[in-house]
Parts: sequence; structure tokens; C-alpha cells
Amino acid sequence: MNLFYARLSMDDVRERLQSVFREVFNDFSLVLRDEMTAEDIDGWDSLAHINLIIAVERALGIKFATAEISRTKEPDQNIGSFVRLVAGKAS
Amino acid sequence: MFQQLSPEQLLASHLQLDASLRPAQSKVFWESLAAVTAIGGAEAAWPWARQAVNRHLDYSSLMRLRRFLVASQDGNSSSTPHRIAILGGPTTIQLRQLIEAFLMAEGLPIEIYEGEYGLFRQEILTPGSELDRFGPQIVFLATSARDVARLPEINADEDAVAQMAAEELAAWQHLWQTAKSSWNATVLQNNFEIPFGCVLGHYTLRHAAARENYLERLNRLMAERAPRHVVLHDLRGLAAEVGAGQWFDPRFYYEFKMPCGAESMVTYAHSVASLMRAVFGRSRKVAVLDLDNTLWGGQVGDAGAGGIHLGQGSGEGESYLAFQRYLKDLQQRGIVLAVCSKNDEQTARGPFEQREDMVLKLSDFACFVANYENKADNLRTIAERLHLKLDSFVFVDDNPAERAVVRRCLPEVAVPDMPADPAGYIDAVARHRYFETASLTQEDAARARYYSADSQRQDLAAKAANVDAFLKSLDMRMAVGPVDELNLERAAQLLNKSNQFNLTTRRYTAAQVREMANSPEWRTLTFRLRDSLGDNGLISVILLRREQNALAIDAWVMSCRVLLRGVEQFARNELVALAREEGCDHILGTHIPTPKNAMVKDHYAKMQFAAAGRDGETTHWALDLREEVPSLSHYIRHESLLCEAVHG
Repeated sequence: MNLFYARLSMDDVRERLQSVFREVFNDFSLVLRDEMTAEDIDGWDSLAHINLIIAVERALGIKFATAEISRTKEPDQNIGSFVRLVAGKAS
Repeated sequence: MFQQLSPEQLLASHLQLDASLRPAQSKVFWESLAAVTAIGGAEAAWPWARQAVNRHLDYSSLMRLRRFLVASQDGNSSSTPHRIAILGGPTTIQLRQLIEAFLMAEGLPIEIYEGEYGLFRQEILTPGSELDRFGPQIVFLATSARDVARLPEINADEDAVAQMAAEELAAWQHLWQTAKSSWNATVLQNNFEIPFGCVLGHYTLRHAAARENYLERLNRLMAERAPRHVVLHDLRGLAAEVGAGQWFDPRFYYEFKMPCGAESMVTYAHSVASLMRAVFGRSRKVAVLDLDNTLWGGQVGDAGAGGIHLGQGSGEGESYLAFQRYLKDLQQRGIVLAVCSKNDEQTARGPFEQREDMVLKLSDFACFVANYENKADNLRTIAERLHLKLDSFVFVDDNPAERAVVRRCLPEVAVPDMPADPAGYIDAVARHRYFETASLTQEDAARARYYSADSQRQDLAAKAANVDAFLKSLDMRMAVGPVDELNLERAAQLLNKSNQFNLTTRRYTAAQVREMANSPEWRTLTFRLRDSLGDNGLISVILLRREQNALAIDAWVMSCRVLLRGVEQFARNELVALAREEGCDHILGTHIPTPKNAMVKDHYAKMQFAAAGRDGETTHWALDLREEVPSLSHYIRHESLLCEAVHG
């Protein structure tokens, strides 16, 4: 067992999330900033949200809990909180 | 210095690789696709995107491709789309989108109506509903075990359970019947997956009221009682194949009402799309097989027929034997087998002639090609020889380079990735569901034999000093009759899959053809040809509409297997006889050109019809029966009913 596995840095996570966002929302100029919310991203409806969750899980090899799946889109959440959530899971 | 590759070259090099080697969301692929779009427009990019669709793709990559396909599809496709309704218990949006991707990739024009979540019963049963106005040709009931309305209490006795199951079945039958009576639709019906987590454990099997046992009972009832217009989709088998624990992702069900997890959804959509393809008569029909390291281990050219790995005694040898047995089973249910091998022919035939333990025999192949030519060219030759189109071909070869050359030169041929270990061969081919079928006609089962006999006919043709002598030597007999219950399936299949000898390319479901056969306004003709080499089966269909003093030919199709045999001349004479019997003074014909039916552009002229105007590309023709109409010559005799009885 490797005890010295490296956790991804927040910047790494943000960068990997950004490429997933670009693919899912089909926007290759999209730049993620922590203060952005679902409102700020064009096309982030409930359908795109499902596809986003599926794509993030696959790209980063993580699994969201049921409550986390919907929480991401709630009004008090933003990209910053999403990055932290993912970083906490990704290794 | 490397020469700069064009985006097309990059795409071709990407897509010729095994799907398992193509990186998901490949940057090169998407950038090249964008470059091709920028230069040649969506139309230029479409074929590449279409070719990239593959059942090995992950959910996100497939969704991205689908988005591209939808955005770039050309709206002026000439053929009328098939109207498909997808009605769910659970959410169907992702399923619908993925099915759409797979069908678009197959080049099937479709228009999909998606029902409201959970309202499938109301939508079917309410006259004037949006679904009713859509008028589907196919209704897919994308239901799951959660849509079973009646579930027994755990302590219900056997009689109560049986009673409840009968009522449940009747409710589904009512839906199927309504779909038929309202729209004459073919129904695709899921059976029920068995949810994971049973409370009675192994005792479930002994207790009728256990939910899992009850669902199995419903599945059995459906399979036994579903009428012919209902095509069952084995969701239960599919979920079992994926694994009950993996199939269902409870998070996505609770949160979004998705029927299964994301990656299972790809498997699910691919399975449904494959079955729909079969309903449209577009399943694959031919498997072309390499020999060395595909049907046996090692090179027969080096090791000799005795030295190849095959059969009992080694696990590897048994793997090849098992693969041969799988192919033999396919052949027996009607899939045409052919060989395409880089060997000299004598050597390649050696194992078949010398080894007792070969499951496949030379007589199982409709075509045997062994030479050192390019395999793409050989496949073209095989297609010509069999009169079958390359888009009905599957090419199986252990050599990745051969797979690549075929993918690159002949993108319409399906080329599955093959694993290094022959133990995985059956799975590698079977998981693509190339050979799905919605029904099994006797014609299907016997087709492979016809094709073997066909190859002999062609050898004869090559030898016959002149064509007339050859045709005479075939001793052809034709049975002519209307469409009836016995030949309905085959007639519909022919109408749907014929592209080349097809005057109007109008597609009709079996249900529609049956309606015509029963209607006083329509006449139907079917032709079944036998000859000295065997029975060719039902090879031509003509649909006619009564119009005042004329018979109008709505559809005229013929199997290309019987080209140049005088079948169309024979049929023309039959038409004249029928029209006179009906008291008509004209026969009207129409030719609607498509990219595939150039073969028949002069058909009506050859049949001695006179030109009678045109609408754009479409031409109209008429044969005036008030004058003497000379018979067209051919070498086919009528097979009387008496003969039919004698021939059995």
C-alpha cells in the first residue's frame, strides 16, 4: 500500500474540472472562477447537470453521494465549493 | 521533416484504430473534426462523426458526439424518417438521446417522440393525445420493474399470484392492442429486470409471491403471449449481463429517476437501437472471417493442416473450436459466412479438407477467398459475388493491420476489435449485437444455404457459353401469389431492406403490408423462385393501387440475388395479365431516384412503358393496355399449385 500518494492540488482539480466543463457545455473558452455559480454558465440546466456529474465522476474517478449530487446546484454553492468538494474526493 | 497531415487524414488515422485504443474525448479527433467543419461545413464532418459512434464509448463521449451529430445533420435527407415513440416509466431523455446517436450513426432517418415521465398508459389510451397526433410506427415501451402496477403481498398464495399476474398481463396486452389499432404500430416492449436485494434470499425460487419470482412469471407470460406485432426487448437479460449490482445506480434513480447507471445506459441504448435496426430490416447479414489465428491458432502455411492449434488438448485450441461453433450457430440461423484469408487457396482449404475436428466445413461458406490481395478489395469482390451490400458485412480478423485497412477503405463494414486471446472472440463479436432479429422466418434460416447455392450458380454462369443456355439450364419455376400471413414477414423484410432494385424506396411495416393485402383498393404480388440449384425463396414483391381504370405500381422491389434472371420480365407479364383481369386499361409506374437505386433508372423503359411526365427527379411511366402488349421473353415457368404440392 502506498501511503505517500499525492493528493491533487486545488489548481489541478480546477484545471481538470474546467476541461470537463468545456466538454459538457461545449464551450472551449470557458474559464472557471471560484465565485461563478450555475447561473453564470450558459446551459447549466438540470439535464446538463446530470451529464456534468456523470462526466466529473468519470474524469476524476470519484463518486458523489446522493445529497452532494443536487447540492452543487443550490443557490449558496459556487464553483469554489464544487472544486473543494471534488478535491476532497480526488486523490 | 514530417509532412503535415490534413484533418481528414488525421481523422482517418484515428478512426481506423481499434475503438479500445482511441482515447476518450481525444483532442486530435475533436480538433480535426472542427477543422473539417470549418473548411467543408457540417456536411463534410458528419461521416467522420458518424463513424466514431461505437458501443465501446463512455456515456460522456457518446453524448458529446450525439450533440455534434444532431447539430450537423442535414435536414434535406431524401428518405422519410421512421417515426419512433419512446414512452417511459422512468426518465427516458438520456436513453432517447443515446438511441438517437446509435441510429443516426447507422444512417437511419428517424423522428422521435418522447413521452412525458411516467405517463405511458395515459398517452397510449387517450385518443387525441400528443402521441396520437404523432402517429408512431414504432412504440418503444421503455418500462422497468417499477412500472408493474400489481404486486402481490408476500403472503399471497399461488392462486392469488397467478390471478394477479394474469390481470397485469392483460393490462399490458391492452396497451399493445391499442398501439396496433390506433397507429398500426410495432411495439418494442421491455421485459422486467430483476431488482437487486431480495428479502427471501434463495427461498425466493420456491415462493410464488416473492417479488423476483413474480417478475420472472410476468416475463415468461409476456414471452409466451406477446402477439406478433410486439417485439420483446430483454432488459432482464441485459441487466444480468451487466450485473444486477452494476446495472442500477440508486443515486441516479432517486435523484433523477434514471432507469440505470450512466455506463449501463450506453449498453441499454445500444441494445434497443440494435433491435430497432432489426425491425427496419437493417441488421448485419454476413460475417467475413480470416483463417489463421482467427478460426485456428498458428499459420497453416507454416505449420500445415496438422500443425495448427485447434480442438481438444489445449485451452487455446478449445477456444478456437468454441468460436467456430458460435459461427456455425450463426450460420444455421441464417447469417452468411465467407472466408477472406491471406494464403494460397489450396493451403487455406487444407484444414477443412483434412481435419475431422473442424466444426466449420467448406460447405458452410457462401464464398471462399484466399489470395494475397488487399482485404478491402477482397471484401468488395465478396459483396459483388453475393449481391449483398457492404453495410451488411462484419469483418472478423485477429490482425489489427487488416482491421485498420478495412475500416479505412470501407467504413460501412463493421469491424469489431478482437482481443489477443481467442478465448474472448465470441464475446468480442457478440457484444456488438450485429445480428439482432425481430422475427425468425424460415427464409432467414435457409438464407445461408441459398447463398452457398448462389455461388455455384455464378460458377455456372462463368462457364455457360451463352447466357440463354445458362438460364435455360437453371430450369426456373416461379410461384406467384398475393401477400398472405405465411409470406408477410418476408415480404415486409424485402420491402424494407431492398435499396438497389427498388423503384420507389417506400418502406412499409408488416402491419401496413397486411392492411394493403386485405384492402379492396390494393393488389399485392409476391414471387418465389426455385431452380435446379435450390429454392431462392420469396425474391420480389409488387404493391399496386387501384385507380379508376388503372393499376398504379406503388412499390416494386426485387432481391439482387436474382438479377439478370428474367424475373422482372416475368413479373411485367404477370402485371399485364392481372391488370386485364381487373379490367384496367393502363398500368402506371413511378421511379423515384435515390443514391442507391441507379440500377433501375431505365427499368420502366425496359419494361416497355412509355414516359408519362416527371416531377423533378421523379419520373412517371404508363403502359397502355388498349393496344397489343407483346410479352417480354424469359426462361421461367409457372409453378402450378399442383407442382407446389408435389415439391412439398
